[in-house]
Amino acid sequence: MNAIRGIMAVAGFQIRRLLAPQRIIMALIGAAFPAAVILAVRRVDSGLPVELMVLLIYALVPEAVCMLGLLVTMCPVVADELERGTWQQVTVRPGGRRSLLVGTFLAAVGWTSTVALLSLALALVAAGLSRDGQIASMFVVLVLVSCVGRAALFALPAVIVPKRALVASVAVAFVVEYLAGFLPAVINQVTVSLRLRSLLVQWMGWQRRLPPELELLIDTQPPWVQVTAVLALASVMLFAASVILAWRQFPPAEES
Amino acid sequence: MIEVVGLKKHFRAADGSLVRAVDGVSFSVAPGEIVGLLGANGAGKTTTMRLLATLLAPTAGTARIAGYDILTDPIGVRRHLGYLSATTGVPDRLTPREVLEFAGRLHGLDRAAIAERSASLLHTLGLESCASRPCGRLSSGQRQRVSLGRALVHDPPALILDEPTNALDVVGARDLLALLDTLRDAGRTILVSTHRLHEIERRCCRFVVIHAGRVVAQGTQEEFSAEPGGLERAFFAAVEGSAPT
Repeated sequence: MNAIRGIMAVAGFQIRRLLAPQRIIMALIGAAFPAAVILAVRRVDSGLPVELMVLLIYALVPEAVCMLGLLVTMCPVVADELERGTWQQVTVRPGGRRSLLVGTFLAAVGWTSTVALLSLALALVAAGLSRDGQIASMFVVLVLVSCVGRAALFALPAVIVPKRALVASVAVAFVVEYLAGFLPAVINQVTVSLRLRSLLVQWMGWQRRLPPELELLIDTQPPWVQVTAVLALASVMLFAASVILAWRQFPPAEES
Repeated sequence: MIEVVGLKKHFRAADGSLVRAVDGVSFSVAPGEIVGLLGANGAGKTTTMRLLATLLAPTAGTARIAGYDILTDPIGVRRHLGYLSATTGVPDRLTPREVLEFAGRLHGLDRAAIAERSASLLHTLGLESCASRPCGRLSSGQRQRVSLGRALVHDPPALILDEPTNALDVVGARDLLALLDTLRDAGRTILVSTHRLHEIERRCCRFVVIHAGRVVAQGTQEEFSAEPGGLERAFFAAVEGSAPT
């Protein structure tokens, strides 16, 4: 009960921080960006097939918007506290470090998924797909899975190299998600991008139409396996981050 | 009760050399006592306090806070300790009341307990008039009092205060030190470090002088004050008389 109170306190505190006018304006601009791109594309060619629109929305919302949103909200989980000199006050509370990590994770997922869902709604309207409930619900799930998986992924660099968390997370995003994720090898099984792609391909019914070389880039297990894999991956990464954070030490010199 | 036994903290510096920030420190603070931890910059005061607050893990030795060992029961220590660091920050966008509520929730206090404790602390610390103003708009003295309130929100039996009067003017420092007297009279165990020796000369029951990570002198207030030149002279004598490292 105490642990939940602590986690919810941190989550509320982080949401309050995110509700600053500048952050809201940035989030709204970010949310409108995919719709603007889609409108620009449709202006050039108004007869694009639905599949291409779906691919565009996929690249812009569950990938780009979620990734950027989480980089901003999840990476500074420790760095912000160090910078503001509030780190000690969180860590000298019983369970403070765990509350900080999990609370920030919940706030990052809540905030980013809200922005991404708004972005999705605008993108679907811009693409002329707002009445297709199946596509809309598919993207809602992709956004939520993307946020949960990537927020947990960024928790690791945030606690390992808190002062360079943003740079490390960008590197992780490229190396793990977009390099390892596209390798036709076992390593891609532990990436969120493989699971998202596989869900997209299966729900869009593109599996049979894929050229054989592209089949290597998706996983053919049913959707529930993909979602479970992301949840399991997120749990493992959050647990690892929590253990690292529990053992992390900050000598006075390291904070200045 | 705070008991420190042979506490050591060694770091490896960037050039590979070994830094003995704290090197076998031992002392104790009894309930109802204020003990002053004195030392120059870099003497090891802050590192010692951070070890006691479980922010750092010791290389050797241990300490017990209110009966809880920092090595075997750090959670117990955190439950029973109020810690104020020299570099403490308060979130600019939260009000003092919200800061106290946040700290209370991190301690797992329920709503009623938090409301009662916050109201009492805001009154005691003289923050009632600015309780709903964002901390970013408070003076440094008010922010320091918010910070102290945050350390006291769970009513801990032991307090570790690292340079608590740092950002305070004369009046603010006097009020804060008077509050320490009240807490001491209520039976709290208080360890305080400061550079302003005159502020704590008459307030502390005992002093521990630390230099280059080692305790170079400790004694009662009477013993230190009996020296010609008082505490300041005794402090310099202890530091300058210690073996060079």
